[in-house]
Amino acid sequence: MKLFLDGRLKKLNHTGTVSALLKKLKVSREEVVVKLNGRLAPETASVLTSDKVEVIKVVFGG
Amino acid sequence: MSISKCSKCDSESIIFLHYVCKHLCAKHFRELFEKRFRSTVREFSMIKKDDRIAVGLSGGKDSTVLLRCLHELCKDLPMELVAITVDEGIDNYRDATLRIAKRETKKLGIEHKIVSFKKEFGKTLDTIMKKDGSLPCSYCGVLRRGLLNRGARELGADKLAIGHNLDDVAQTTLMNILRNEPDRIARFMEPQIKHPSFITRIRPLLRTPEKEVAIYAMVRGINIDHQECPYAQSAFRQIVRRQLNEMEECHPGTKFKILGSFLSMDKIMKMKSEKKLTACSSCGEPSAGKTCRFCEMRASFF
Repeated sequence: MKLFLDGRLKKLNHTGTVSALLKKLKVSREEVVVKLNGRLAPETASVLTSDKVEVIKVVFGG
Repeated sequence: MSISKCSKCDSESIIFLHYVCKHLCAKHFRELFEKRFRSTVREFSMIKKDDRIAVGLSGGKDSTVLLRCLHELCKDLPMELVAITVDEGIDNYRDATLRIAKRETKKLGIEHKIVSFKKEFGKTLDTIMKKDGSLPCSYCGVLRRGLLNRGARELGADKLAIGHNLDDVAQTTLMNILRNEPDRIARFMEPQIKHPSFITRIRPLLRTPEKEVAIYAMVRGINIDHQECPYAQSAFRQIVRRQLNEMEECHPGTKFKILGSFLSMDKIMKMKSEKKLTACSSCGEPSAGKTCRFCEMRASFF
Protein backbone atom coordinates (compact mmCIF):
# COMPACT_ATOMS: atom_id res chain seq x y z
CA MET A 1 0.00 0.00 0.00
CA LYS A 2 1.22 3.49 -0.88
CA LEU A 3 0.03 5.90 1.81
CA PHE A 4 0.02 9.69 1.51
CA LEU A 5 -0.86 11.67 4.62
CA ASP A 6 -1.53 15.33 3.72
CA GLY A 7 0.52 14.89 0.57
CA ARG A 8 3.52 13.28 2.30
CA LEU A 9 4.46 9.68 1.63
CA LYS A 10 4.34 7.57 4.84
CA LYS A 11 5.75 4.12 5.40
CA LEU A 12 3.04 1.86 6.81
CA ASN A 13 1.77 -1.62 6.07
CA HIS A 14 -1.96 -2.02 6.30
CA THR A 15 -4.61 -4.28 4.88
CA GLY A 16 -8.18 -3.98 6.09
CA THR A 17 -10.67 -1.16 6.28
CA VAL A 18 -9.96 2.55 5.90
CA SER A 19 -11.54 2.98 9.32
CA ALA A 20 -8.92 0.69 10.91
CA LEU A 21 -6.18 2.54 9.02
CA LEU A 22 -7.36 5.91 10.42
CA LYS A 23 -7.34 4.44 13.93
CA LYS A 24 -3.79 3.20 13.37
CA LEU A 25 -2.81 6.71 12.22
CA LYS A 26 -4.66 8.26 15.21
CA VAL A 27 -6.62 10.46 12.82
CA SER A 28 -10.28 11.35 13.40
CA ARG A 29 -12.56 10.21 10.59
CA GLU A 30 -14.49 13.47 11.18
CA GLU A 31 -11.52 15.54 10.05
CA VAL A 32 -10.24 13.78 6.95
CA VAL A 33 -11.28 12.71 3.50
CA VAL A 34 -9.82 9.50 2.06
CA LYS A 35 -9.09 8.79 -1.58
CA LEU A 36 -8.43 5.24 -2.76
CA ASN A 37 -6.58 5.08 -6.06
CA GLY A 38 -7.57 8.69 -6.72
CA ARG A 39 -11.29 8.27 -5.92
CA LEU A 40 -13.24 9.37 -2.83
CA ALA A 41 -13.97 6.39 -0.60
CA PRO A 42 -15.98 5.73 2.59
CA GLU A 43 -14.27 4.49 5.77
CA THR A 44 -15.88 1.09 5.29
CA ALA A 45 -13.81 0.46 2.13
CA SER A 46 -11.11 -2.22 2.27
CA VAL A 47 -7.52 -1.49 1.34
CA LEU A 48 -5.25 -3.92 -0.46
CA THR A 49 -1.46 -3.87 -0.57
CA SER A 50 -1.49 -2.66 -4.18
CA ASP A 51 -3.71 0.39 -3.42
CA LYS A 52 -2.73 4.04 -3.28
CA VAL A 53 -4.32 5.69 -0.24
CA GLU A 54 -4.50 9.46 0.30
CA VAL A 55 -5.60 10.82 3.67
CA ILE A 56 -6.38 14.53 3.37
CA LYS A 57 -7.09 16.73 6.38
CA VAL A 58 -10.05 18.94 5.52
CA VAL A 59 -11.39 20.09 8.90
CA PHE A 60 -9.52 22.89 10.60
CA GLY A 61 -10.16 25.14 13.52
CA GLY A 62 -9.64 28.82 13.96
CA MET B 1 -9.81 -2.38 -2.82
CA SER B 2 -13.43 -3.14 -2.09
CA ILE B 3 -16.06 -0.41 -1.85
CA SER B 4 -19.72 -0.67 -0.76
CA LYS B 5 -22.57 0.35 -3.04
CA CYS B 6 -24.70 3.48 -2.64
CA SER B 7 -27.83 2.86 -0.52
CA LYS B 8 -29.93 4.36 -3.35
CA CYS B 9 -28.37 2.92 -6.51
CA ASP B 10 -25.72 0.51 -7.80
CA SER B 11 -22.89 3.06 -7.99
CA GLU B 12 -19.87 2.95 -5.69
CA SER B 13 -20.22 4.79 -2.40
CA ILE B 14 -18.03 7.84 -1.76
CA ILE B 15 -19.25 8.51 1.79
CA PHE B 16 -20.83 6.64 4.66
CA LEU B 17 -23.15 8.84 6.70
CA HIS B 18 -22.75 7.35 10.16
CA TYR B 19 -25.64 9.37 11.64
CA VAL B 20 -28.17 7.71 9.33
CA CYS B 21 -26.18 4.53 8.47
CA LYS B 22 -26.29 5.20 4.72
CA HIS B 23 -23.81 4.93 1.87
CA LEU B 24 -24.09 7.53 -0.89
CA CYS B 25 -22.53 7.79 -4.34
CA ALA B 26 -21.38 11.16 -5.72
CA LYS B 27 -24.73 11.84 -7.46
CA HIS B 28 -26.91 11.06 -4.45
CA PHE B 29 -24.56 12.82 -2.03
CA ARG B 30 -24.78 15.98 -4.16
CA GLU B 31 -28.57 15.68 -4.23
CA LEU B 32 -28.76 15.34 -0.43
CA PHE B 33 -26.35 18.24 0.10
CA GLU B 34 -28.23 20.66 -2.16
CA LYS B 35 -31.65 19.60 -0.85
CA ARG B 36 -30.49 20.22 2.73
CA PHE B 37 -29.01 23.59 1.76
CA ARG B 38 -32.26 24.75 0.18
CA SER B 39 -34.46 23.41 2.97
CA THR B 40 -32.31 25.22 5.59
CA VAL B 41 -32.74 28.50 3.69
CA ARG B 42 -36.51 27.90 3.64
CA GLU B 43 -36.80 26.65 7.25
CA PHE B 44 -35.30 29.83 8.70
CA SER B 45 -36.73 32.16 6.01
CA MET B 46 -33.16 33.28 5.39
CA ILE B 47 -33.66 34.88 1.98
CA LYS B 48 -36.54 36.79 0.43
CA LYS B 49 -37.01 37.28 -3.31
CA ASP B 50 -34.77 40.09 -4.66
CA ASP B 51 -32.73 40.33 -1.43
CA ARG B 52 -29.21 41.69 -1.85
CA ILE B 53 -26.98 39.15 -0.13
CA ALA B 54 -23.38 39.87 0.86
CA VAL B 55 -21.36 36.68 1.23
CA GLY B 56 -18.49 36.71 3.72
CA LEU B 57 -15.98 35.04 1.43
CA SER B 58 -12.68 34.04 3.01
CA GLY B 59 -11.86 31.75 0.10
CA GLY B 60 -11.84 28.71 2.41
CA LYS B 61 -13.98 25.67 1.60
CA ASP B 62 -17.09 26.73 3.57
CA SER B 63 -17.54 30.21 2.15
CA THR B 64 -16.53 29.13 -1.36
CA VAL B 65 -19.12 26.33 -1.36
CA LEU B 66 -21.67 28.73 0.18
CA LEU B 67 -21.11 31.24 -2.65
CA ARG B 68 -21.45 28.52 -5.30
CA CYS B 69 -24.69 27.14 -3.74
CA LEU B 70 -26.23 30.61 -3.36
CA HIS B 71 -25.31 31.43 -6.95
CA GLU B 72 -27.14 28.29 -8.09
CA LEU B 73 -30.12 29.06 -5.85
CA CYS B 74 -30.50 32.38 -7.74
CA LYS B 75 -32.08 30.44 -10.62
CA ASP B 76 -35.10 29.56 -8.43
CA LEU B 77 -34.98 32.37 -5.90
CA PRO B 78 -33.87 35.59 -7.58
CA MET B 79 -31.41 37.51 -5.42
CA GLU B 80 -28.42 39.76 -5.90
CA LEU B 81 -25.06 38.46 -4.69
CA VAL B 82 -22.00 40.44 -3.66
CA ALA B 83 -18.94 39.15 -1.80
CA ILE B 84 -16.69 40.62 0.88
CA THR B 85 -13.28 39.29 1.82
CA VAL B 86 -11.35 40.40 4.89
CA ASP B 87 -7.58 40.20 4.51
CA GLU B 88 -6.31 39.95 8.10
CA GLY B 89 -2.68 39.95 6.99
CA ILE B 90 -1.54 36.44 7.91
CA ASP B 91 1.70 35.51 6.15
CA ASN B 92 1.81 32.26 4.19
CA TYR B 93 -1.91 31.66 4.68
CA ARG B 94 -4.32 34.35 3.51
CA ASP B 95 -2.75 34.89 0.08
CA ALA B 96 -3.81 31.45 -1.18
CA THR B 97 -7.47 31.81 -0.08
CA LEU B 98 -7.56 35.40 -1.33
CA ARG B 99 -6.61 34.08 -4.77
CA ILE B 100 -9.45 31.52 -4.58
CA ALA B 101 -11.94 34.25 -3.54
CA LYS B 102 -10.89 36.42 -6.50
CA ARG B 103 -11.03 33.45 -8.89
CA GLU B 104 -14.52 32.36 -7.76
CA THR B 105 -16.11 35.82 -7.88
CA LYS B 106 -14.60 36.46 -11.30
CA LYS B 107 -15.84 33.12 -12.59
CA LEU B 108 -19.38 33.71 -11.31
CA GLY B 109 -19.43 37.42 -12.23
CA ILE B 110 -20.01 38.59 -8.65
CA GLU B 111 -19.00 42.03 -7.32
CA HIS B 112 -16.14 41.53 -4.85
CA LYS B 113 -15.02 43.92 -2.11
CA ILE B 114 -11.75 43.30 -0.27
CA VAL B 115 -11.05 45.02 3.05
CA SER B 116 -7.88 44.60 5.06
CA PHE B 117 -6.73 45.01 8.65
CA LYS B 118 -3.69 46.84 7.30
CA LYS B 119 -5.80 49.47 5.54
CA GLU B 120 -8.42 49.76 8.30
CA PHE B 121 -6.19 49.65 11.38
CA GLY B 122 -2.73 50.32 9.94
CA LYS B 123 -1.62 46.91 11.22
CA THR B 124 -1.90 43.32 10.05
CA LEU B 125 -2.97 40.54 12.43
CA ASP B 126 0.65 39.32 12.36
CA THR B 127 1.82 42.75 13.60
CA ILE B 128 -0.88 42.92 16.29
CA MET B 129 0.10 39.43 17.49
CA LYS B 130 3.77 40.42 17.72
CA LYS B 131 2.76 42.99 20.34
CA ASP B 132 0.13 40.91 22.09
CA GLY B 133 0.31 37.23 21.18
CA SER B 134 -2.62 36.18 23.34
CA LEU B 135 -6.04 35.17 22.00
CA PRO B 136 -5.43 35.67 18.25
CA CYS B 137 -8.79 34.10 17.31
CA SER B 138 -10.70 36.41 19.67
CA TYR B 139 -9.02 39.50 18.20
CA CYS B 140 -9.38 38.30 14.65
CA GLY B 141 -13.00 37.16 15.08
CA VAL B 142 -14.22 40.42 16.59
CA LEU B 143 -12.37 42.65 14.11
CA ARG B 144 -13.36 40.49 11.13
CA ARG B 145 -17.06 40.45 12.13
CA GLY B 146 -16.97 44.24 12.53
CA LEU B 147 -15.46 44.76 9.08
CA LEU B 148 -17.87 42.29 7.47
CA ASN B 149 -20.89 44.04 8.99
CA ARG B 150 -19.68 47.46 7.91
CA GLY B 151 -18.68 46.19 4.45
CA ALA B 152 -22.08 44.54 3.94
CA ARG B 153 -23.83 47.76 4.96
CA GLU B 154 -21.67 49.83 2.60
CA LEU B 155 -22.56 47.43 -0.22
CA GLY B 156 -26.26 47.98 0.54
CA ALA B 157 -26.84 44.35 1.52
CA ASP B 158 -30.03 43.13 3.20
CA LYS B 159 -28.30 40.06 4.68
CA LEU B 160 -24.79 38.84 5.35
CA ALA B 161 -24.34 35.15 4.52
CA ILE B 162 -21.56 33.36 6.37
CA GLY B 163 -20.17 29.87 5.91
CA HIS B 164 -20.78 28.54 9.43
CA ASN B 165 -21.42 24.81 9.22
CA LEU B 166 -22.88 22.27 11.67
CA ASP B 167 -19.50 21.72 13.37
CA ASP B 168 -19.04 25.48 13.93
CA VAL B 169 -22.49 25.85 15.48
CA ALA B 170 -22.12 22.76 17.70
CA GLN B 171 -18.67 23.97 18.85
CA THR B 172 -19.93 27.50 19.54
CA THR B 173 -22.88 26.19 21.54
CA LEU B 174 -20.62 23.97 23.68
CA MET B 175 -18.06 26.78 24.14
CA ASN B 176 -20.76 29.17 25.34
CA ILE B 177 -22.00 26.59 27.82
CA LEU B 178 -18.47 25.78 29.04
CA ARG B 179 -17.76 29.50 29.50
CA ASN B 180 -21.15 30.12 31.16
CA GLU B 181 -22.13 32.71 28.54
CA PRO B 182 -25.83 32.02 27.90
CA ASP B 183 -26.28 35.55 26.50
CA ARG B 184 -24.10 34.58 23.57
CA ILE B 185 -26.36 31.60 22.84
CA ALA B 186 -29.34 33.97 22.81
CA ARG B 187 -27.51 36.33 20.43
CA PHE B 188 -26.17 33.69 18.04
CA MET B 189 -29.22 33.49 15.78
CA GLU B 190 -29.63 37.19 15.21
CA PRO B 191 -32.60 37.59 12.89
CA GLN B 192 -34.91 38.53 15.76
CA ILE B 193 -32.65 41.37 16.92
CA LYS B 194 -33.15 44.56 14.98
CA HIS B 195 -30.79 47.52 14.76
CA PRO B 196 -30.51 49.82 11.75
CA SER B 197 -26.75 49.37 11.32
CA PHE B 198 -26.70 45.64 12.00
CA ILE B 199 -26.91 43.47 8.90
CA THR B 200 -28.77 40.24 9.67
CA ARG B 201 -26.48 37.24 9.36
CA ILE B 202 -27.65 34.03 7.75
CA ARG B 203 -26.02 30.61 7.91
CA PRO B 204 -27.34 28.36 5.14
CA LEU B 205 -24.77 25.61 5.98
CA LEU B 206 -26.05 25.40 9.56
CA ARG B 207 -27.23 21.79 9.11
CA THR B 208 -24.23 20.59 7.07
CA PRO B 209 -21.31 18.74 8.72
CA GLU B 210 -17.94 20.35 7.92
CA LYS B 211 -16.50 17.20 6.36
CA GLU B 212 -19.43 17.06 3.94
CA VAL B 213 -18.69 20.63 2.80
CA ALA B 214 -15.18 19.49 1.84
CA ILE B 215 -16.48 16.38 0.07
CA TYR B 216 -19.05 18.48 -1.81
CA ALA B 217 -16.27 20.81 -2.98
CA MET B 218 -14.34 17.78 -4.26
CA VAL B 219 -17.40 16.27 -5.97
CA ARG B 220 -18.07 19.61 -7.71
CA GLY B 221 -14.41 20.03 -8.68
CA ILE B 222 -14.06 23.24 -6.66
CA ASN B 223 -10.36 23.75 -6.02
CA ILE B 224 -9.84 24.28 -2.29
CA ASP B 225 -6.75 25.22 -0.30
CA HIS B 226 -6.24 22.74 2.54
CA GLN B 227 -4.00 24.90 4.73
CA GLU B 228 -4.67 25.60 8.39
CA CYS B 229 -4.53 29.12 9.84
CA PRO B 230 -1.20 29.32 11.74
CA TYR B 231 -3.00 30.84 14.75
CA ALA B 232 -5.71 28.16 14.96
CA GLN B 233 -3.79 25.79 17.22
CA SER B 234 -4.01 28.18 20.15
CA ALA B 235 -7.79 28.48 20.10
CA PHE B 236 -10.05 27.06 22.82
CA ARG B 237 -12.25 26.03 19.90
CA GLN B 238 -9.60 23.48 18.87
CA ILE B 239 -9.97 21.61 22.15
CA VAL B 240 -13.76 21.62 21.86
CA ARG B 241 -13.52 20.53 18.22
CA ARG B 242 -11.34 17.52 19.06
CA GLN B 243 -13.56 16.42 21.95
CA LEU B 244 -16.70 16.88 19.88
CA ASN B 245 -15.27 14.81 17.03
CA GLU B 246 -14.38 12.04 19.48
CA MET B 247 -17.98 12.08 20.74
CA GLU B 248 -19.30 12.07 17.18
CA GLU B 249 -17.22 8.96 16.40
CA CYS B 250 -18.59 7.12 19.45
CA HIS B 251 -22.13 8.50 19.16
CA PRO B 252 -22.90 9.46 15.54
CA GLY B 253 -25.41 12.29 15.34
CA THR B 254 -24.08 14.13 18.40
CA LYS B 255 -23.49 17.36 16.43
CA PHE B 256 -27.04 17.32 15.05
CA LYS B 257 -28.37 16.77 18.59
CA ILE B 258 -26.35 19.72 19.91
CA LEU B 259 -27.74 21.87 17.09
CA GLY B 260 -31.25 20.69 18.00
CA SER B 261 -30.68 21.56 21.66
CA PHE B 262 -29.28 24.94 20.66
CA LEU B 263 -32.29 25.76 18.49
CA SER B 264 -34.68 24.75 21.32
CA MET B 265 -32.71 26.80 23.88
CA ASP B 266 -32.58 29.72 21.47
CA LYS B 267 -36.37 29.74 21.15
CA ILE B 268 -36.89 29.67 24.93
CA MET B 269 -34.23 32.30 25.58
CA LYS B 270 -35.61 34.62 22.91
CA MET B 271 -38.97 34.51 24.65
CA LYS B 272 -37.42 35.42 28.00
CA SER B 273 -34.71 37.82 26.85
CA GLU B 274 -35.45 41.51 26.92
CA LYS B 275 -31.96 42.59 25.91
CA LYS B 276 -31.71 44.68 22.76
CA LEU B 277 -28.72 45.83 20.74
CA THR B 278 -27.79 49.49 21.22
CA ALA B 279 -25.41 51.78 19.36
CA CYS B 280 -21.79 51.77 20.58
CA SER B 281 -20.99 55.09 22.28
CA SER B 282 -17.69 55.27 20.41
CA CYS B 283 -18.34 54.18 16.80
CA GLY B 284 -22.12 53.92 16.57
CA GLU B 285 -22.00 50.29 15.41
CA PRO B 286 -24.46 47.81 17.00
CA SER B 287 -23.34 46.66 20.44
CA ALA B 288 -24.63 44.55 23.32
CA GLY B 289 -22.95 46.92 25.82
CA LYS B 290 -22.14 50.64 26.05
CA THR B 291 -18.93 50.22 24.00
CA CYS B 292 -18.64 47.45 21.41
CA ARG B 293 -15.94 44.74 21.56
CA PHE B 294 -14.54 46.04 18.24
CA CYS B 295 -13.71 49.44 19.81
CA GLU B 296 -12.45 47.82 23.03
CA MET B 297 -10.01 45.66 21.06
CA ARG B 298 -9.02 48.45 18.70
CA ALA B 299 -8.22 50.68 21.70
CA SER B 300 -6.15 47.94 23.30
CA PHE B 301 -3.60 47.76 20.50
CA PHE B 302 -3.16 51.52 19.93
